[in-house]
Amino acid sequence: MEDFKFLFKVVLVGNAGVGKTCLVRRFTQGLFPPGQGATIGVDFMIKTVEVENEKVKLQIWDTAGQERFRSITQSYYRSAHALILVYDISCQPTFDCLPDWLREIEEYASSKVLRILVGNKIDREDREIPTVVGEDFAARHNMYFLETSAKEAENVEKLFMKIAEDLMQQARSKDLPRYDSITTNISGRTSSISDSNCCSKLT
Amino acid sequence: MDYELPSEFDLIVVGTGVIESIVAAAASRIGKRVLHIDSNNYYGGLWASFNLDSINKLVTENELRNELDKKDLLKENETLYSVGNNAFNLKIQSQTWNLPEKLEEQNEVQTETVDAKEDVDVKVDESWTQEKLLKLSRKFNIDLTPKLHFARGDFVELLIASNIARYSEFRSVSRVLTWLNGQLEVVPCSRSDVFSSNKVSVIEKRMLMKLLTSCVDGDEKEFAGYENKTFQSYLKDRKLTGNLIHYVLYAIAMSTDDTMCLEGVKNTKRFLGSLGRYGKTPFLYSMYGSGEITQAFCRLSAVFGGIYALNQPLNGFIFNNEHTFRGVLCGQQRINAEHLVMSLEKVPQSVVDFSAKEYISRAIFITDRSIMESDKEHLTLLLFPSINGKRTCTILELGSLTGTCPKDLYIVHMFTKQYTSPEEDLKHCVEKLFYKQEESGESEIILPNILWSFYYSVPNTFNLGLKCEQLHNVYMCSGPDMDLDYDPAIAQAKEIFTSIYPDFEFLPRAPDPEEIIIEGEDNNNVLNDDNNEVEEHSDNRTEENLQTQRNID
Ligand SMILES: Nc1nc2c(ncn2[C@@H]2O[C@H](COP(=O)(O)OP(=O)(O)O)[C@@H](O)[C@H]2O)c(=O)[nH]1
Ligand SMILES: [Mg+2]
Repeated sequence: MEDFKFLFKVVLVGNAGVGKTCLVRRFTQGLFPPGQGATIGVDFMIKTVEVENEKVKLQIWDTAGQERFRSITQSYYRSAHALILVYDISCQPTFDCLPDWLREIEEYASSKVLRILVGNKIDREDREIPTVVGEDFAARHNMYFLETSAKEAENVEKLFMKIAEDLMQQARSKDLPRYDSITTNISGRTSSISDSNCCSKLT
Repeated sequence: MDYELPSEFDLIVVGTGVIESIVAAAASRIGKRVLHIDSNNYYGGLWASFNLDSINKLVTENELRNELDKKDLLKENETLYSVGNNAFNLKIQSQTWNLPEKLEEQNEVQTETVDAKEDVDVKVDESWTQEKLLKLSRKFNIDLTPKLHFARGDFVELLIASNIARYSEFRSVSRVLTWLNGQLEVVPCSRSDVFSSNKVSVIEKRMLMKLLTSCVDGDEKEFAGYENKTFQSYLKDRKLTGNLIHYVLYAIAMSTDDTMCLEGVKNTKRFLGSLGRYGKTPFLYSMYGSGEITQAFCRLSAVFGGIYALNQPLNGFIFNNEHTFRGVLCGQQRINAEHLVMSLEKVPQSVVDFSAKEYISRAIFITDRSIMESDKEHLTLLLFPSINGKRTCTILELGSLTGTCPKDLYIVHMFTKQYTSPEEDLKHCVEKLFYKQEESGESEIILPNILWSFYYSVPNTFNLGLKCEQLHNVYMCSGPDMDLDYDPAIAQAKEIFTSIYPDFEFLPRAPDPEEIIIEGEDNNNVLNDDNNEVEEHSDNRTEENLQTQRNID
């Protein structure tokens, strides 16, 4: 029905204000939104990219602001293929919170989820976390590392392409987190089991 | 990251149970400013799921707070009510390990038994210990309120209609069992089940199909004269054999000998109407536990701008002297709102002038094999019929494929209406499923061992007719009820929503991201002026809320 071969769920976490929403919008829409970037009613963004001549659809989930008071639902992490943990290189506290985020990830995400650490806002002059410190942390926790600027569109494309490529490789070697295919998706469009007439309104 | 909560809202929802979360989602969905807070550091309240470690540490006593020194945050003529009461929480009866703590101790025990050369009786699989289970703690998602969903029930329809379905995954219940003539039997659910069953004779098959058809299609005439009679008497009059009556009455209609005919028919319709949509039975179960459900509604609420804060030091509710709700005191902060929706457990003690008249007896077990072993892992619903004056009992067995327990283990949930205590009320089922029957010497059936058990009581507050007479703009949500699905919860949430916002649609369909975002290079409709684009690409079904872009803070 749809024109893609792979569909991957990518979720972003990290303290409020580090630029998660801006990263997503930069990548999916090619823009840097003024002010706080969240759009009411937008749940996840989708972008299809091409890797080795295959269409790969990335479904990119944002936190819906629930990170602000540390109230992200566990279900947000379920069935994610890749997880981007973001901090702000000009804000030490956002780096200091990384271990807390890792604990949460370990608790709720699949152990096989691809994890990427991102230091965002490298366009800023007032850097507080040197690149090596981020690199070190990532290496210690077995994560891929990248510094980005959503504002200047630096490394954003690279970040998501890297994810798409890695996930594709994992998929080919069958090393993806396995989310059992017998589960039923009742959303009425993705699964053949579901009944597409049932999207009628409930009044 | 010390953010302060905004201090003006349209609606404050306190507690993250299912009803509260549905109301929060519905209000955010129509553009109301919603604050959803909980004093717990987890979602779900009495409807939550826990890992093994946290359920063992579960605290059920409400900490009653009343910070009278916060008076300076109140205006003249305002009163502060404390948050919470101890009337409506669950009560833990017992939590028991049936396993050695560590491996060493167990080795000793084993050597002893070998030396004694006595009974080589069923033993707990030597590899399990408390330590080992607790190491796997995170693989458990143990529901306080396990639920199943009728494939065409109110819940599934609401999820589809509102587009909340995208947050959850489900698994079909793969078999329905009953207890018949001293053993477990698979209930033939579907037409093909009926026809392939070797427990039902050819004549019985016809009788059964005919009966089921008349229950579904039958008009009033079919049941004329049965208005005051039981469903059982109707089935008997239809000359069904004993086994068939058993299947229909106790399993398909989930009824008892006393259930009235029309209710039995209604239940039968509910069951049959959900067949054939997703799996072999009418039921679905939420992957990773029923606790995910409240979170799905909370996620939708957040996506539509609802603000979420768990683990909040809730210090009181503020009312004016006309007893109208003004706001809450959260830590040192006063937060105002027009309406308050809260879980029953959060209702101020001083307002609680009613109590639960009924309790639910519940138990959860971790076991080392299925109650009815098979070559594949099943997700089982066992409807234990009322026998020898004992109550019917609903039993759910979940394996590792549901994402609620580790491999090679099962979680068994049991519940029934409370008569005396959870242990007493469920004893007859526990004995039949887990303890060796003396008489049945011939069978080689190895029964599951209980590795861990947890007995608790929950007040059934559903039929209390919760109306807050003395307080205005306040709505209370009941706790978990006895329904297998969420029908009563949805009905109550809808009722609360409609009384606050009578002119708005309840959870209209949320647009799909595909409707908002245009991807691919072949068209240059890249969203750069959001308002216009959103309008343009989110067809007629999208409501006006979407067109407005708002900042979350
Ligand atoms: N200088 C700079 N500011 C950024 C960058 N990314 C985001 N911001 C700003 O950081 C703030 C928070 O961004 P947002 O994406 O809403 O963060 P989120 O809470 O993690 O989703 C906004 O004011 C953005 O404009 C960046 O790469 N460079
Ligand atoms: Mg954001």
